[in-house]
Amino acid sequence: MNNNKPGRIIRCPVALYSVLMALFALMLALPFAPQAMAGDSESAAKVVNPGTELWREVRQREAPRAGATQVAGMDSGVLINIRGEQWRQFRMEQLIPAAGALMGGVLGLIVLFHLLKRGVRLEHGRCGNYLLRFKEIDRILHWYVATVFIFLALTGLILLTGRVVLIPVFGHEVFSVIASASKEGHNLFGPLFLVGLIGLLIRFVSKNLPAKGDLSWFLKAGGFVGGKHPSAGFFNAGEKMWFWLVILIGLTISATGLILEFPFFGQDRPIMELSLVLHGVGAVLLIAGVFGHVYVGTAGMEASLDSMTTGYVDVNWARQHHDQWAEACEAEGAVIAGAELAKKQRLRGTKNRVPDRPVAEEGR
Amino acid sequence: MITAFVDGPLWYFALVVFLIGVAWRLFAIFRSGSKADFSVPRRSGAVSAFMTSLRRFVPRHEMSPRIRLQVVAGYMFHLGLFALLVFAAPHVLFLQKHLLGFGWTPMPYWAFILASQIAFAGLLILWLHRLLNPVTRLISDADDYVAAGLTFFVMLTGCLALMEDFTGLRVLHRFTVELLMIYFPFSRLMHAFTFIPSRAYTGAWFGRRGVDA
Amino acid sequence: MKGRFEQGVEAMRAQMDARVVSYLSSCVHCGICAEACLFFTETGDPRYTPIHKTEPMRKLWNQEYTFWGKLTSKLGLNKPLTEQDFEDWEMLVYDGCSMCGRCSMVCPLGVDIAYIIRKVKEGLSAAGYSPPDLVEAGERARTIGSPMGVTAKTLAATIRAQEKETGLDIPLDKEGAEYLCLFSSGEIAGFPEFMGALARIFKAAGISWTISSQYFEATNTGVQLGNSELAAELVERIVAVAEKLKVKTVISPECGHAYTTIRWDAPNFIGRPLPFKVVHIMELLDQLRLDGRLKTEGMTDDRLSFHDPCNISRRGGVLKQPRQLLNMVAPNFVEMKEHGDMNWCCGGGGGVSSNERANELRLQVFSAKKRQLDEIKVDALVTSCSNCRHMLEDGLEENEMEIELIGITELIADHLAEETPDRGQ
Repeated sequence: MNNNKPGRIIRCPVALYSVLMALFALMLALPFAPQAMAGDSESAAKVVNPGTELWREVRQREAPRAGATQVAGMDSGVLINIRGEQWRQFRMEQLIPAAGALMGGVLGLIVLFHLLKRGVRLEHGRCGNYLLRFKEIDRILHWYVATVFIFLALTGLILLTGRVVLIPVFGHEVFSVIASASKEGHNLFGPLFLVGLIGLLIRFVSKNLPAKGDLSWFLKAGGFVGGKHPSAGFFNAGEKMWFWLVILIGLTISATGLILEFPFFGQDRPIMELSLVLHGVGAVLLIAGVFGHVYVGTAGMEASLDSMTTGYVDVNWARQHHDQWAEACEAEGAVIAGAELAKKQRLRGTKNRVPDRPVAEEGR
Repeated sequence: MITAFVDGPLWYFALVVFLIGVAWRLFAIFRSGSKADFSVPRRSGAVSAFMTSLRRFVPRHEMSPRIRLQVVAGYMFHLGLFALLVFAAPHVLFLQKHLLGFGWTPMPYWAFILASQIAFAGLLILWLHRLLNPVTRLISDADDYVAAGLTFFVMLTGCLALMEDFTGLRVLHRFTVELLMIYFPFSRLMHAFTFIPSRAYTGAWFGRRGVDA
Repeated sequence: MKGRFEQGVEAMRAQMDARVVSYLSSCVHCGICAEACLFFTETGDPRYTPIHKTEPMRKLWNQEYTFWGKLTSKLGLNKPLTEQDFEDWEMLVYDGCSMCGRCSMVCPLGVDIAYIIRKVKEGLSAAGYSPPDLVEAGERARTIGSPMGVTAKTLAATIRAQEKETGLDIPLDKEGAEYLCLFSSGEIAGFPEFMGALARIFKAAGISWTISSQYFEATNTGVQLGNSELAAELVERIVAVAEKLKVKTVISPECGHAYTTIRWDAPNFIGRPLPFKVVHIMELLDQLRLDGRLKTEGMTDDRLSFHDPCNISRRGGVLKQPRQLLNMVAPNFVEMKEHGDMNWCCGGGGGVSSNERANELRLQVFSAKKRQLDEIKVDALVTSCSNCRHMLEDGLEENEMEIELIGITELIADHLAEETPDRGQ
């Protein structure tokens, strides 16, 4: 069942070290060999450990074989599985540092970008008229996925990096509590993410199909190359790319998550390891992406957050960033005056909880 | 020491506050009194009271699809919560040991998890709706958010303690439950009990007029 | 500021009964009531959310009846009920609510929000925060006997005109008649044909009836204002003339809140059962139909529908009778999608149409009715409330809709079988 690649033994440091040590020991022993063979009583008696053969079999170093066992389960016939050690080393020495580097790096880049560029401002300020961009159901769906994702990200990062980051702070006992809680929480909320993801897919897929102008939007990097803001429809090419990243990586994370959470279908160790890698790498990629997404939606682009809170965006914002969509809306007569909208929403600046009195009423 | 406090004095305190508080709130309703109705009814108010108490579980079809989200998410949350409160194995054991002295067959573990997931999703969607819908954003107050938040924390701490292997997590869950029990009678959560007289009064009023409300 | 804040609070406090307390304890702020209220759905303004309109009552209950509310009030941590609240809520309650009760039908907790609003009005009117038009109408009702100023002279003139029109006697002050018929001033002024229709139907059915010259007004501005004292005073006048004329049954005419007042609320205003039965004219007509005393001939080809007046159908319980009656004369009857007890309000009830300040708003929310009518595409719309009729006419005109409005009694009368004019009885 195990299929250790031959090259890995050489690359595996522990194995290499053991081999080197064995060679070194052999080298040291060489001068004494003739004496040993002569049976000289002055040199240490070279007694062959009668258990060597047995332990070689147990370690299954050369040809891993599953033994017979009454315990039902994948790999339960393998007594000592060296893949466990390989996995541990991969996780501690490659996966976790890489994850930290990626997330930290992206965060750092964003901070640097903001310090240098200070975000994209509205060219002509707010005009006080609005367009409906996201209906209530879309906003609820988005924030549902966002909330569940944040919870899964936190618990997932605890599970991934806790050993390195949290044990030094909290100690083993407290961390075991945190880890158990995180595992239970992560496993329960996982499927909730999938359900939300499918909802997002259904609601937004039609607006995220490739269209004319997407390539040139990309080439102009949304306007950072060349200085002029390229034309865009409801969603620009960058947003479409983010959508598909979220969907594809999200589905990968969900699928691997389900594989990991329900190991009752014949998943063996390699499948579980692969799933874990895809799950973790995918999650870290998404987390890094979310850093960017949150930045663009808040400090990175003035007046963007409105679209996901009230659902209404200022017409100037729409014209600047999604001119084709703004034009279509204006042609349809979908623009709502700020004063009219203030009656329906508690937008910034609205105060009164009651309708305005007619002018003639004053002085009653 | 904390464990002993949460399992002991705080539990009894919470239980007393909950039972007496709920009883007092219900008593306060009836204490306010009702005037006699001298009009000639078309039919019995009592029967209509009972019927309306049941009928209001099903929304009027004329309201569809306006309130679909509140109804679906509302039932997801309430039914999920009811299922896991009453039929989850750890709760059945708890009720048997600490309150009732008898138990019943709990639901299988996978059903417990499924019910919790449905309840969580429902609560989260409702809470987001409360924040994002202009009507609920206007009329909601601190009580609404605290009640929802506290309920969520109770459910969350329960979920975190699912392995049932760490005293700290179990105690945290029990602690949040006790907080909720203390908060309950002073809050809008009382609707869990007051919905009965509320629906009944309205049912009787409409029933006397011959209207199935 | 009116300086009667304390009176207002006292009036509201007196309204705090078990029903109100159970309702305020149960509301979970779900917002479903807003989706049933045409003042919200047609304006999108969340301030018209029904339970939000009851905020003054909730504040009073919270600060005087709940543990948390009492504590936070003492500590100065919550906003108490103030006169500013009365001022702010006046327009929401009087202009933005017709007390149609549609919200009460859909609340999952069973809260009868319209019931609470009626009680909030007690506080507002006692404190002096009611629409000036309604207050003036109330004064006219008290002094002249009609909120529109229709005097006994006007009534007499209308009777004479209808007698001439129909060739029938319309009995005035006939002691010992079985039925006393009330009228709304709106009918006398706007739809006097209703009186003639009644005369024709009652003649054909052999009904003994009368009108009182001393007091004929069916409407009750006290109810619209939320002034129980005035409401009781006006009800007592009906009781007085009914007792004087020794009638067995009082007929409530084609007017919405008049029916709920005299049929359901009147005994409680005066604190004793009424010494007579009360029927809505539709109930009487349907009974006559069942007894075989109401015979019609001919049918109308018009594709028509029925607008259920909220106070007669949803809050009054007269739901089947109009359909049975229309069945006799209108084969092309079609129901609006929301009808019967879930009908959309015309927007003019509860005193809204008497309040000029609310004109723009009530015409704006007519869009709910317009949507219903556009869906079924009818030639005519029948109703049994003259106030609805006025409101519907205004709305149809505003939206340039060519739909004929018909009162149900007139429709039945127009199809009476074997009608022969008979002078003197």
